[in-house]
Amino acid sequence: MRFEEISLSQVSETAWEIPRTGGMLVPGLVFASREMMEDIVRDQALRQVMNVAHLPGILFRSIGMPDIHWGYGFPIGGVAAMDVDEGVISPGGVGYDINCGVRLLRSNLEMATLRPRLPELLAALHREVPSGVGSTGTVRLTPPEMDKVLTGGSRWAVSRGNATEEDVEFTESGGRLPGADPDAVSDVAKKRGLDQLGTLGAGNHFLEIDEVEEVFFPEAAAAYGLFQGQAVFFIHSGSRGLGYQVCDDYLDVMAAYMRKHALNVPDRQLACAHIGSDEGRRYLSGLAAAANYAFANRQLLAHQVRETVQRVLRLGPRDAGIRTVYDVGHNNAKFESHEVDGRRRDVLVHRKGATRAFPPGHPELPAAYRDVGQPVFIPGDMGRGSFVLAGAPGAMRLSFGSTCHGAGRRMSRTSARQSLRGKSVFAEMERRGVLVACTSRKTLAEEIPEAYKEVGTVVDVVDRAGIARKVARLRPLAVAKG
Amino acid sequence: MCAASVEALFSLLTDRRKIRRSGRRTLDSGSGPPEERLLSILRQALLLFSLDRFLVRDADAIMKSGRILVTVRGEPVDDARHSAYREIKAVTAHALTVEEGPSGFTARFVLDV
Repeated sequence: MRFEEISLSQVSETAWEIPRTGGMLVPGLVFASREMMEDIVRDQALRQVMNVAHLPGILFRSIGMPDIHWGYGFPIGGVAAMDVDEGVISPGGVGYDINCGVRLLRSNLEMATLRPRLPELLAALHREVPSGVGSTGTVRLTPPEMDKVLTGGSRWAVSRGNATEEDVEFTESGGRLPGADPDAVSDVAKKRGLDQLGTLGAGNHFLEIDEVEEVFFPEAAAAYGLFQGQAVFFIHSGSRGLGYQVCDDYLDVMAAYMRKHALNVPDRQLACAHIGSDEGRRYLSGLAAAANYAFANRQLLAHQVRETVQRVLRLGPRDAGIRTVYDVGHNNAKFESHEVDGRRRDVLVHRKGATRAFPPGHPELPAAYRDVGQPVFIPGDMGRGSFVLAGAPGAMRLSFGSTCHGAGRRMSRTSARQSLRGKSVFAEMERRGVLVACTSRKTLAEEIPEAYKEVGTVVDVVDRAGIARKVARLRPLAVAKG
Repeated sequence: MCAASVEALFSLLTDRRKIRRSGRRTLDSGSGPPEERLLSILRQALLLFSLDRFLVRDADAIMKSGRILVTVRGEPVDDARHSAYREIKAVTAHALTVEEGPSGFTARFVLDV
């Protein structure tokens, strides 16, 4: 099969290989059904998979997930693992919103009971959880306190009484990446972050109240504390302006490094530096700091949700039972141990719009999940729902312990707005049985369900490919957006 | 072209017609190729909003010793009068072009939103 000069061979029902050509150091590997591939080839994402395959030290394959789409330099939905001695680190392989991710909170509440209170609860959550462009949080950090957030992540929130030990246990990497150095974060980035902690942001970030509609993998659902008909709370946010600035700052550093060392890559947004270089190590320290800010941000958001729900419903913590199922990022670069060509190696895994998905038995998983695999959350659109998955063994063989992260856009923001032709998004969502509260109507119009691919088709591919397993489907009933 | 690009950036952020020209700031491109100077100006312009909550109504530019100086006029965000359309995370270097044609320069830049 050839699309726009790109050779593709279908190597399984759900996987396609792009053979090495030109300066590619490894082949490309993209997970998709045949129908999805016809959509994927319409933008430049496959070309970007090939571009990433040129990066020094890349191992095994340049990988694309079924929600892949065009991004800056790296495709969104891309995974690339680098040899730690010869490989490079690229801010474009992480993205602007460093450690953007998702947290799922379960509860003791059944949706049948909660449903009549949803309008009141949504209004309270939208009021109490800051969202929207330029929104500021209830926490105003001092510079010394900012440094503690950057090094401590979710642990910082424990020290303030805004997190429990259980929250931290059920957060990827314990809610704190090692190696964070506040001095590797510019003053401008820190200033942008001083008043944004505990804010949702705008765009595709959201806070949802969902119902667990269907369970596919009962053992995993039981381990995660999920049951059919349950009310759960879904948070999607990241490192806010601080993370964007860290990315921006280091793109310049990497560009200078590439000029100095005559490193050539096919796209300047793939700017990178060797992992062991001063520039590479410094970016990794800044990245870890921004990732920790994101962990602390989602922790504060979760705390605010917990407090608000308990207050509105007049329930104590034990009765409400709002507990973290898991918190996992989908824009990161992390040192991990993987088997490559039959040999265990330490590698640096870039995941940009891709979620870590460790399988059963992985030592980094909390004991409670070790028999079923790591929870993975795949937000869909605000009309058709989302999925809970569990990491599966195939992810370690095929995708460096990674899977998809969302539905992927199929419509530009402008096209989404134009497609409404004056119709009210609120009325349309209400017709679907979804309550919506938002700060910007324009943002809402850009996030209509039709703007996204059907998440079920994306999830089916990773399930059939054996890199993650479907656990449950969530149906949104109330959505708060910035 | 730099001034028009800054105005375009702020048109994506808010309704510029509601911004008063009560304040003034100057952005300096530094030296370098046209694309890098434009990128520098746009990044500084976005920071005016992201860091200082300053909105730009209009802008003009002059060349001075090979640098572009852009003067912007606007005011700090007033939540009662200004609504933000969307969050712009960054101005990117991806596919950024500056081309000279018969009627002047055309710039193309991609934002991460």
